[in-house]
Amino acid sequence: MSYFFLKESDLKDFVRKLISSAPVIAPVARKNKFVFADLESPDELRLDYDITILPPKKAFFPPNQTLLSFKENKATSAIRPREQILFGVHTYDVKAIDMLDLLFAENNADNNYLANRKATTIVAMTPQAVSGRAFWESVGKTVQPNGHDALMTKIREGYVFEPRTPQGTRLTKSGIFSQASSGQLDEASKCQSEIAAKCPEKLSHSTREISDKMRASFNNEKIWHTASLDCFSCGTCNIVCPTCYCFDVQDQWNLDQVSGARYRTWDACLTEDFAKISLGPAGAENFREERAERFRHRMMRKATYLNSRLGGPACVGCGRCSEGCVPDIADPVKIINNVMES
Amino acid sequence: MNNCFVPMEAEILRADQVTKSEKHFTLRMKNGCRMDFAPGQILEASLFGFGEIPLGFASSPTRKDSFDLVVRTVGRVSGAINKLEKGQSVFVRGPLGHGFDLDRLRGHDVLIIAGGIGLCPTRSLIQYILDRRSEFKGFKLFFGSKSPQDQLFLDDLSAWRNSPDVEYHETVDKGDPGWTGNVGVITTLFQKTKITPDTRTVICGPPIMYKFVIKELEKSGVPHNHIFVDLERRMKCGIGKCGHCQINDKYVCIDGPVFSFDQIKHLEEVFG
Ligand code: SF4
Ligand code: SF4
Repeated sequence: MSYFFLKESDLKDFVRKLISSAPVIAPVARKNKFVFADLESPDELRLDYDITILPPKKAFFPPNQTLLSFKENKATSAIRPREQILFGVHTYDVKAIDMLDLLFAENNADNNYLANRKATTIVAMTPQAVSGRAFWESVGKTVQPNGHDALMTKIREGYVFEPRTPQGTRLTKSGIFSQASSGQLDEASKCQSEIAAKCPEKLSHSTREISDKMRASFNNEKIWHTASLDCFSCGTCNIVCPTCYCFDVQDQWNLDQVSGARYRTWDACLTEDFAKISLGPAGAENFREERAERFRHRMMRKATYLNSRLGGPACVGCGRCSEGCVPDIADPVKIINNVMES
Repeated sequence: MNNCFVPMEAEILRADQVTKSEKHFTLRMKNGCRMDFAPGQILEASLFGFGEIPLGFASSPTRKDSFDLVVRTVGRVSGAINKLEKGQSVFVRGPLGHGFDLDRLRGHDVLIIAGGIGLCPTRSLIQYILDRRSEFKGFKLFFGSKSPQDQLFLDDLSAWRNSPDVEYHETVDKGDPGWTGNVGVITTLFQKTKITPDTRTVICGPPIMYKFVIKELEKSGVPHNHIFVDLERRMKCGIGKCGHCQINDKYVCIDGPVFSFDQIKHLEEVFG
């Protein structure tokens, strides 16, 4: 595919045209943080963001998603995808989306996710800034972002735009794009490696070494007990994670008490009841009763359990969990490096 | 577009309150289709406005165009389902997961060990074996419950007690004045009979039971790859996504609920 160039001064026009063609979800500022939100005007767009509070997966896997609606004994599927453009997704978040694409499709295809995903055109972005806890440069190095329709990289004069799919190419019809020069391409690849080098945190071992050692450390009670001593079981580390996809399913009545909906909400394996079953008169059984067990389970999922299915770890190094954890104990770099040194 | 969360309607043909907290339902699909399941598989049963719960099939696919479920009242969903009577509907998604690998049981001695409500999913296999008795060699069944009042499927139990097709042993943790049978934990039943090392064994019961039973089987020389465990976990989707049923990296809803013991014995989280 060919490479295009868009002048900085033409960006707003391009984005305005995109907004008029379909809803555009993109990074915008909220106080001193950033979030992905439906873009009302190109003026709100903040392509210089470092990280968003919640990952962009919410565009097709919302925190609260209706699966079906019911009226008395009749159920109606709630799969109703809207064509949309997810704009400015950092490359590490694209990797996380690739994982969810695979996980929701394999074994039993879940169209509640897949239909929304299919209706979404993704324009990825080389980060222009790194967040305080990012380590995406050193994690899962052999896995490249794959599911995006185009990649944009900021260079001095504007953006190098690389379409990767026909949808990505189609977007260039909405702006004043020229052919990118080889000088511009060189500049883009230089920007890509320069920003990667700025990640403040770093894993020092290969995916394989980490996976093997983490799995082998399962029974190292001391590590998990010590690491999780201050955990509140709040689940924030799960909720902000782009690769977490566990959910709860609940029913809710409408006010009329004859109709309602069955919906799913993001769930968190760090919370106390996540693996608890009620046995009726015999009491209850909680298969991960101790917070150390739950804390360990998250790290096992990130570093080893899913590796063979995903081709790499289920962590993309965004650093959201590290920033979101109040006692600051969720940072995978600290946890993994600690295990590696044990 | 197919939505794997939309359930199908099943009509209640029979509803019997079998213990204080358990109700036994016989159901038939409303659309006339057969529920095409294997013993040991599960389904999600629901009532709109209340929610869904995972349940094992409690009857064999060899029996009629209906299927049985036993629901124990433990929460909101099970409580609501257990208020239903004949003629009303339950909504189901399934069959889900992996049941018993019948090919690995056929042609061998089979021992089924069921504790408490663990008799429900194993009843599917028990009926299957009784219906195709000649395909299996010796057939033994151990059933343990808390007390005589907690025993399920009383008609079945009395049939099995007198049947030449199954060597049935039962015990209760605590007897009552009318009880003349064995009293003690389920492992005490191993003293009543001899288990050949070639026996294919199926275990289903409360989490605490497995370890002790497996120890007894080891004493009888039964290898781990001939032991099959039917496990229970919290479950929300039944299709390998929601994460609640995970045992280390395995999903009970798609990799199980029946596992061959040698396949999972290395998993630290398997017996809680
Ligand atoms: S590790 Fe931190 S963010 Fe995660 S549950 Fe514990 S306290 Fe909350
Ligand atoms: S585990 Fe933490 S760093 Fe890794 S992807 Fe999830 S939120 Fe980001």
